Amino acid sequence: MHIARSKVAVIAAAVSLGLVATACSSDRDSNGSDGGGSTERFIFGAAGDPGSLDPSLESDGETFRVSRQVLETLLDHESGGTELIGGLAETWDSNDEGTEWTFNLRDGVTFHDGEELTAQVVCDNFDRWYNWTGTYQSTALSYYWQAEFGGFAENESEDTPPPNYVGCEATEDLTAVINLEEPSSVFPGAFSLAAFSIHSPKSLERYAEDEASGEGDNISRPDYSQDPEAIAGTGPFQLSNWNKGNGEVTVTRFDDYWGETAGFEEIVFRTISDEGARRQALEAGEIHGYDLVAPSDVDALESAGFEVPVRGVFNIFYLAFTQERNEALQDIDVRRAVAHALDRQGLVDTQLPEGGVVATQFVPDTIAGYSDDVTLYEYDEDAARELLDEAGHADLTVDFCYPTEVTRPYMPAPADMFELMKADLEAVGVTVNPRPMKWTPDYLDTTRDGGCDLYLLGWTGDFNDAYNFLGTWFDGYSKEWGFRNDEIFEALAASSVEPDVEAREAMYEEINELVMDFLPGVPISSSPPSIVFADSVNPPTVSPLTQEKFSEGSFK
Amino acid sequence: MSTESNEPREPDDAAGDTGASPEGTSPGSAVPEPVGTATAPTAGATTGGPEAAAPAGPERAESPLAKARMSKADKIDRLAQLTAQRTTASGDSLWVAAFRRLRSSKMAIIGAVIIAVFVILAIIGPWIAPYSPTAQTWRGEVFSNRGIFVGPRAENWLGLDNLGRDQLSRLLVGARQTLLVGVVATVIGFVVGALIGGVSGAALALGGRTGQRIDTVIMRFIDMMLALPSLLLAVSIAAVMGQSLTTVMIAVGVVQIPIFARLLRGSMLAQANADYVLAARSLGVRRRRIVLAHVLPNSLGPVIVQCTLVLATAIIEAAALSFLGLGNLDAAQPEWGVMLAQAQRFFDAAPMLAVWPALGIIITALGFTLLGEAMREALDPKLRS
Repeated sequence: MHIARSKVAVIAAAVSLGLVATACSSDRDSNGSDGGGSTERFIFGAAGDPGSLDPSLESDGETFRVSRQVLETLLDHESGGTELIGGLAETWDSNDEGTEWTFNLRDGVTFHDGEELTAQVVCDNFDRWYNWTGTYQSTALSYYWQAEFGGFAENESEDTPPPNYVGCEATEDLTAVINLEEPSSVFPGAFSLAAFSIHSPKSLERYAEDEASGEGDNISRPDYSQDPEAIAGTGPFQLSNWNKGNGEVTVTRFDDYWGETAGFEEIVFRTISDEGARRQALEAGEIHGYDLVAPSDVDALESAGFEVPVRGVFNIFYLAFTQERNEALQDIDVRRAVAHALDRQGLVDTQLPEGGVVATQFVPDTIAGYSDDVTLYEYDEDAARELLDEAGHADLTVDFCYPTEVTRPYMPAPADMFELMKADLEAVGVTVNPRPMKWTPDYLDTTRDGGCDLYLLGWTGDFNDAYNFLGTWFDGYSKEWGFRNDEIFEALAASSVEPDVEAREAMYEEINELVMDFLPGVPISSSPPSIVFADSVNPPTVSPLTQEKFSEGSFK
Repeated sequence: MSTESNEPREPDDAAGDTGASPEGTSPGSAVPEPVGTATAPTAGATTGGPEAAAPAGPERAESPLAKARMSKADKIDRLAQLTAQRTTASGDSLWVAAFRRLRSSKMAIIGAVIIAVFVILAIIGPWIAPYSPTAQTWRGEVFSNRGIFVGPRAENWLGLDNLGRDQLSRLLVGARQTLLVGVVATVIGFVVGALIGGVSGAALALGGRTGQRIDTVIMRFIDMMLALPSLLLAVSIAAVMGQSLTTVMIAVGVVQIPIFARLLRGSMLAQANADYVLAARSLGVRRRRIVLAHVLPNSLGPVIVQCTLVLATAIIEAAALSFLGLGNLDAAQPEWGVMLAQAQRFFDAAPMLAVWPALGIIITALGFTLLGEAMREALDPKLRS
């Protein structure tokens, strides 16, 4: 860890030296292109670059925002909601055990390169992921495959879970059947994940020529995933250009789209990492919208005539304990004390956008499986002090990590929230060592590796199932939480294979109660992340899953 | 800097002749190459060796253009040379004359007053601050998510910041942090720079051929450091060392090292040509003793002047590094740069949050710059009537 950090620092230094030479010219370039830009291009400000253009290799929202316009999944979510609807599959069904999923595909769907969508193409896609070898088996490249389908045809590492995928069969031209080893609650939701988008057969041939290389945190993505020409999907837009120098991905309208033709001729996703710069670009008319609006900007933007549609709440922001790293935190009373010490309501009132609420458990209240009977930890300084005294940790000291220079959908101002929580903890006698870190790679790597006592993180749901939240964190031992609680692990495993939806939801409620009694972390809040559009645009319907379909938008 | 690159064999062109008194000649000196090429003003254009421009001295006419073209290293050498003279035509000590000029300069007085106020506030700030600068006493009254801030009022003269802390207390306590960083950074720069410059100067002045080589090597490294924009160098150092207040002090200090080194070396070379050194040498005093007992003490003057100038840049650079998020790990501790960075996000809703620390930084830097420029002018014989 240490080596990696100093390496990063050296690179940062080198880059900062290099930037001086290049900064001025690149600024000028982008300004120049704005002046001459046609009005038909819809330009959207993104907070970060996509990792690659192939969503099956990625797990971040910036990649998916682009790929969802280009590639489509078997199942989809209703526009602006969390209900599953047909995507490339018009209808779908499973056997009673939930191990055999049948998809009846849409007729007449063509890929951007002219190929036809058939059941065999769907199976080829799934088989490609299942047969991944080498570097592709690293969780850095196949996070979602491993999370939802387990391992591969031939696992190369002991850490890789056994595969839950058995095979895919094209029983008819447009009927694909996917077989699973065991039922799992992630299905059918997982079939809607951007990571499992269907690629054209020609693209698959092209992909097979490339290899990913490297290991650990030094993985280089295969060439095809950086090449907009190589990737063809069925979506309303096709990839046309990725200008990495300017941080711009361009997609153009696909006229043979099976659904309704897109309203914009061309969309440019321009990376502007700074929150303030995004806002300035919008106000200056350089972009037509951007994501992750700072809560304090919402009113000002609205009164300036911009549209700031409100998304549904579908995330959880939490304070995590890494119990292994700090012995005191293994004491339930200490964890309770921390929960009592935090004024979460105050934080929600002063920091989060309108519509934010205090979270009582590790799922948002809009999801089935939310329990009304969890243990609540009210803001109570005296109770916190008492608990610490009783536990013999009145002099508790914690390393508290927080990310700098980042906004996440669930966490608009991490540094300010950290300050508030730090003051709360100090008020009950806890000594807090602040550990600010850059979001990537330092913060994510360190927290995942269990390098902090306390840290702030959150999760936006991928689909409407509580397992997508609870299972992500508590389905087994992980370094980031650093605890073993077999009761919770087993309960989650049991819920995962329960095919009956109602029974499963009842199990989730129990698990939520279990988790909140054990208190592996303190859920802080759920809040709607804001997105903004210029007045000249009919914006697409916003999605609580942050899965906007830009094809719905158009210029007025 | 260009002269050096043009004359690989002549390591010391700009400062080697600094012994030259305004009259343009210096008594037979023991320095190997007593008469250098032109001094700073035309340094960029001079390409010949020592012979080519032998009679040149500081008196050479100097056009504003040439002055503007002076490199950083040249400017430093020139300052060293000017301040090395012991007496003026009237017989007063240079320092006495300079001080007299300073006293009559409005610029200097204003600068001095600003600095005095700043230093006093920085020292007593924590005692006169009405509240704790880190206590979020009124955090329930500020809603940064809705743009609701609390402006100046009876209990909080400058209002509250975005986390409900008293802005006036934070400014007052922040001043101390800023001053502390500035002073420590300057001390680091002074000590290390003086050490390097002293070795280099002593080696060149009295070390013979070997000394010359030592000096060349050291000075080329120093020139490399000087060639980098100072803030960029500081940011790079801070990025490598990781975020902390110590990092900022070191980063800003390191940036000052080449200035002090070059200045002391130039000043020592000037002294090395003085009559009293010649006298000491002819009496057979050991070289080490000449350097330590005679040359060094007499060369420190300009370096000390430089300290005040450096303090101004150090304060600005420290604030800049904090602004960029490389400062104190504990962001709750007030520091003007951090406060400015934090206020930036709320500039539309509460512009005054940014204005106060910005004003603080601007006024303080102005004070140091006014005084520094006045001192430079007072010491520059070119500007004396």
